[in-house]
Amino acid sequence: MADIKFSDAVIDTAGTVVNKCMGLEDAPCMSACPMSTDAKGYVNLIAEGKFEESLKLIREKLFLPNTLGRICAHPCEAKCRRGTEYGEPISIAALKRFAAERADDESLWDLTKADATGKRVAVVGAGPSGAQAAIELARSGHDVTILEKLDVVGGMMRVGIPEYRLPRNIIDHEYTYLTSLGVQFEFGVEVGKDVTLDSLREDYDAVILAHGAHKGSIVPVPGHDAEGVFSAADYLREISLTRSFPRAGKRIMVVGGGDVAMDCARSSWRIGAHAVVQCSLEDDETLPASEEEIREAKEEGVAFNAGWGPDEIYVENGRVTGIRIRRVLSVFDASGRFNPCYGDETKEFSVDTVIFATGQKVEDITSGALEQKQGGRYVVDANTLATSMENVFVAGDAAGTNIVIEAMAYGRKAGLSADRYLTGRTLDDGRDFSREFSYGTKLDVPIPEGTEDLPRLSPNLRDPRVRKRDFDECDTGFSDEQALKEASRCLKCECRLCMRECVMMNEFGSCPKDILDPLVNRGEMDPLLAYSCNGCDNCTIVCPHEFQLKKVFVGSRKDFVAANRGESPMKGHKVIKLHQLLGFSKFFTTKIRGRKK
Amino acid sequence: MADMVTKEKRYGFMPGCSLPSYNPEAVAKTIEFLNATFPHFSAVQKCCGKPTKAVGQYDLFKERFAGLQADMDDMGIEDMIVACQSCFLTLKEASSTPVTSLWALWPKIGFPDDLKGKAADSDIVFTIHDSCSTRYEEELQDGVRWIMDQLGYQVHESKHAKERTRCCGFGGMVVPVNPEIAQKVMVKRVETLEKENVVVYCAACRSSLLKGGAKAWHILDLIWGPVVNEGDDSPMDVLASPIKSWVNRYKAKRGIVHAMR
Repeated sequence: MADIKFSDAVIDTAGTVVNKCMGLEDAPCMSACPMSTDAKGYVNLIAEGKFEESLKLIREKLFLPNTLGRICAHPCEAKCRRGTEYGEPISIAALKRFAAERADDESLWDLTKADATGKRVAVVGAGPSGAQAAIELARSGHDVTILEKLDVVGGMMRVGIPEYRLPRNIIDHEYTYLTSLGVQFEFGVEVGKDVTLDSLREDYDAVILAHGAHKGSIVPVPGHDAEGVFSAADYLREISLTRSFPRAGKRIMVVGGGDVAMDCARSSWRIGAHAVVQCSLEDDETLPASEEEIREAKEEGVAFNAGWGPDEIYVENGRVTGIRIRRVLSVFDASGRFNPCYGDETKEFSVDTVIFATGQKVEDITSGALEQKQGGRYVVDANTLATSMENVFVAGDAAGTNIVIEAMAYGRKAGLSADRYLTGRTLDDGRDFSREFSYGTKLDVPIPEGTEDLPRLSPNLRDPRVRKRDFDECDTGFSDEQALKEASRCLKCECRLCMRECVMMNEFGSCPKDILDPLVNRGEMDPLLAYSCNGCDNCTIVCPHEFQLKKVFVGSRKDFVAANRGESPMKGHKVIKLHQLLGFSKFFTTKIRGRKK
Repeated sequence: MADMVTKEKRYGFMPGCSLPSYNPEAVAKTIEFLNATFPHFSAVQKCCGKPTKAVGQYDLFKERFAGLQADMDDMGIEDMIVACQSCFLTLKEASSTPVTSLWALWPKIGFPDDLKGKAADSDIVFTIHDSCSTRYEEELQDGVRWIMDQLGYQVHESKHAKERTRCCGFGGMVVPVNPEIAQKVMVKRVETLEKENVVVYCAACRSSLLKGGAKAWHILDLIWGPVVNEGDDSPMDVLASPIKSWVNRYKAKRGIVHAMR
């Protein structure tokens, strides 16, 4: 056959398909995950009872599935279509915990590393971002040392997230992955005090700052400097490390509406509080804390005053004796700026302790060498996390993330950048930054026919009256039966609707985009593909874009014929040729004009 | 679709290719019926050229179709009645002569009295397999259902009917090129029909459904043939044998000549 030139109509239709086909688009859960964890994949493996395979899939992206299965803020669930359509998202995080508890084993851990490069990297901070950066760099063959101010690993997961949500032995065990990879730890080393950034830059080939945002903030209302006022960061850190906070009283007001505020309120019971009250500028509808945390805090008897802000802390003899809170009318002004507006209504509470869970800042450990912006976040290149110092990168909350899984994504990003730097490559050439964090998905398909609105499975929580008095884990996790049931609710979001209709396309690729890519990008198409289409339009009927693939497959046949001296390129069509000769031959045809009646 | 039926016009009928190859008797009876119905009537047996077009030989198709058009003009046909859905679409696109589907026509000219309700006592339930090429031709699909109702047969509408019908596997000249795929499509089509007994209005579809494992009747089998009951076997797959098919095609030609006398 001569060189084939496909007609414009064929190429144009194929081009539109390749451009807009959603067949290769990721599910919303996966694209929402900053680490691009294949949630749909692992949830469905659980549904099939393939727990070990599920765990392995999780571990392709996450070194601490058991930890994240408990405390991940799960942006995946916010995008889950069971949530956006029915308000009942799949318990993706809890299923991850299930897979980890059911199937994780050190023998499954991937300890593959590139050949040693001889380069040394210091990572400041043993939180999730530092750990992830260390993992990327160790896998790339570099010598990595993590310097940690505390004596324990985990960072904010250890001293921010309470033990009753995340038992400490789980963090310690999952961090042994790093030691198995050869990452070194130096505990009790505070950069900026015990050692300077400058000396690290000299002693190591690259430095990654991942020391988090551990500096609490206190809103300067009257009385804020009294004895008995603490920041959430200090409060939770001390409770995490000692299971006590001797400076606190028995009647606690927690100011704030986020997960940290919930953690403070719930931790207060566990260190012996008699009364725990909350207030926050945000009202019930806009509370930023996760639904689970709010529900569990309420179950434990925390009194909510959502939509009320701190007005004045009452002080006697230098100590807190109470607080007055004031009704919030609005939090943001007309131009969308944070500018709370208060009404006249007030309430007073007799409390002896006030905890401000109103945001945390990044401490400067560079002695001013790196510029900081709002919240102490270092100024970095948003794509590469490089700083104004060529061998210093920043990861995690210190660079602006807010939750663990985001911090890990920044850790990975900083690690990838540092690796490029250490191996003499540019930081950005050929790199798809869009895939290094959450990204949008074009996937927009109808809910599968016959889908039932099935409720989300509730976690197995211990009795709130009992659990609020100890540090044991609240949630006891899913049973096999529960996990299978919950995982089976997954809608397996994908398009590829045409692939369920069409038999033949499945022989040529995974979706139209995949199948037509060679035609659009190289001008090539297998004639067997063009001649295997029945031209039935079943693909078009189910396609959300109503793509007429027939126009490409059947439409291209005249181009094949033109390139083949006027004949079909398919050997099998010799039969048709004969059939047509006979069908038009005198022997088999006739024409008769009926008589006049 | 052509205009209202009028006895002033000269109607023509062409049975297509697969129908005369399958059932020449049904072709003859249909022509007898139409010839008795219309005062001015002509018949043509020739291929419309769809297979030539489907393999991509557009120039050759034009040449061949011109031959058919000349025959129609020669016979003074002002409105061509077709029993094949491919013929219907091909003529609709390429012919200067208006085209009417036999299935859409029938409700307009009325059903023969002696055939009305002939299957009223039959216990069989048919699923209708609609031809995918005319999935958007509602009048044609409704006509088939009207005919089934006139005959008195019970019909089950499957989820994949009318606009949502699925290909029988025969379309696009795929069978001689990729028989494995075609066979898979045939089996898949049968799986989605919900009932074992199927009525079709395309002889090629009938052959495909038999290959896919169903029992299938052409609607003209039901009109002109014996009443079918639950458990009856459907007619054999004549089209699977090229020799029988061509013998039948020749018989159909002779039958047309006879019926037009």
